Amino acid sequence: MKQIMLFFLFFLMTSQTAYAEFDIQYAIDQAKAGDSIHIPAGRYQGNFTVKKPIKLYGQKGTELYAQNDEPVLKIEHVSNVSIENIRITAKNKGIVANEADNLELRAIELKDIRVGIHLQQSRHIRILENRIIGNESHFAEKGNGIAVFKSEDVVIDQNTIEQVQDGIYAEEGTRIDVQRNKVTNSRYGTHFMYSSNVKVLFNTYLQNVTGLMVMMTTNLEISSNTISAHNGFNSYGLMMYDTQEAMVRENSFLHNRVGVALQKSSVIQIQENRFQMNQTALEGTKVDERSIIMNNQFTGNILTARSDNRGLRLIHNFYDDYTGLDVTGDGFGDIPYVAVSSFGQWMVRQPVYQFFVASPSVVILTSLDQQINKTERNLMVDNEPKLLSNMKEIEFSLNILQLVIGFIVFMGSLWLWKRGIRV
Amino acid sequence: MALEKGDTSVTRWIMIVIICGVILGGCGEKAYHPREINSETDVCKVCNMSIVHNEYAGQIVLKNGDYETFDDIGCLMDYIELNGDGEVGAAYIKNKATNEWIDVYKAIYVYNKNYWTPMNYGVIAFATKDEAKEWMNDEEEGQLFAYRDLLTLNWGIHE
Repeated sequence: MKQIMLFFLFFLMTSQTAYAEFDIQYAIDQAKAGDSIHIPAGRYQGNFTVKKPIKLYGQKGTELYAQNDEPVLKIEHVSNVSIENIRITAKNKGIVANEADNLELRAIELKDIRVGIHLQQSRHIRILENRIIGNESHFAEKGNGIAVFKSEDVVIDQNTIEQVQDGIYAEEGTRIDVQRNKVTNSRYGTHFMYSSNVKVLFNTYLQNVTGLMVMMTTNLEISSNTISAHNGFNSYGLMMYDTQEAMVRENSFLHNRVGVALQKSSVIQIQENRFQMNQTALEGTKVDERSIIMNNQFTGNILTARSDNRGLRLIHNFYDDYTGLDVTGDGFGDIPYVAVSSFGQWMVRQPVYQFFVASPSVVILTSLDQQINKTERNLMVDNEPKLLSNMKEIEFSLNILQLVIGFIVFMGSLWLWKRGIRV
Repeated sequence: MALEKGDTSVTRWIMIVIICGVILGGCGEKAYHPREINSETDVCKVCNMSIVHNEYAGQIVLKNGDYETFDDIGCLMDYIELNGDGEVGAAYIKNKATNEWIDVYKAIYVYNKNYWTPMNYGVIAFATKDEAKEWMNDEEEGQLFAYRDLLTLNWGIHE
């Protein structure tokens, strides 16, 4: 009997405590402008609304949850609000902010939600270091991790997002900075529509349908991102549709079905990126002449580039399948690199042909292309292909600690071995 | 001998019926039925977005039997503008009221720049005017359009 009592006592001591006596909404309503509210640890059920400039801090173990379809936390028509260190669980939306100004959402964990953070008609917003995990259903039935509508000056930094429809979705936004986020196992890592002045820096997109989807957006900087393993039937690393004035620089496109696809786009500069092990590195349709692909490295891709009859401008790129020589010694090949491939052109028209990539007949066709296309002068021709890759050589370095440990282990093994022989 | 004659006569009639059937079948108009959208594999032919909002989807059945799918009526109209409708066997759009396929050419459309659609073009399709009016009663008022009006509509988001 004593043991059973102790068992129940143990459970009572270790179970999470719900601070029923702390009424969050009452505390919000009673707070004055600029006040900070510290929420004690515990689980709180309800739908809470913030309409005044306050700061909400959750102690470790604070969780808000709703069992209805309403958002757990609504922030409306207000300036200078800060929410930090809270866990939110919801059937539908976690946080909804409408007409907010100077709002900061930091270190919030949103789990099993349909939509994580929904923001509309707001300005000067910081969404930092949050963790958003969707549910297990198909992406067609999910909402977005962070959705931003008609808002300006929004920084979305260091968030981790998984299993949602679009990790970060921005529509009709201006000055949106998306940086150092990680989005995995979703439909699109980040999705822009009708936005302008956008920066996408140092993000990691992994195993989504498409890493970065940019549509009807102008004035973008996409730099230093790692976009890899998007290899479904309709997948792209980066897809730009009807996009103008974009700089795509120093990104890594690895193991994607298509590394970068440009469609109906103009003034796009793709520079100093690494295209590695993609099925097709570059695809272009209706791309204007002012768009250039320059100083990139193409290694291990099955097909370097494919396009419609308007072609793509290739300048000074490194191609691992280039077979020419540099007799003049200027660092560039003496004969042009021609990326035209009959099979690639067919794939643009009929994506289903991708299933024949690397089949024996396609390999023979591509080899024939390379011989025949040496006379090609206009379409997808790099007249000065770079012969040396820009990859930094790993310098020889010595780790003294590792060397000493290795030496000790080696001598010890030798001693043990000798001892074994003597015995 | 008489039996054989009868057999021949029956066989001849059967042959005539089959041939007539084949000829009439060949002369009949080919039916172009819509198919269901698969969100996993279907993407918009024009903008490449995967089709996750089924209630706004469209599709064209080409005369050669191929299907082209669209996420928004605006993309479908863009396709028709670029390719003409010479090869179009049938075109369908989802009825917003019932989520069923309806003929693009016969549908009633409602436009309001504030209506959300996957491409934000703000045009939604209905089978009847009554359905469209009921929608407008519940949502914001919009402009009623017929298919021919869509041909001259300035597609895009509007301020």
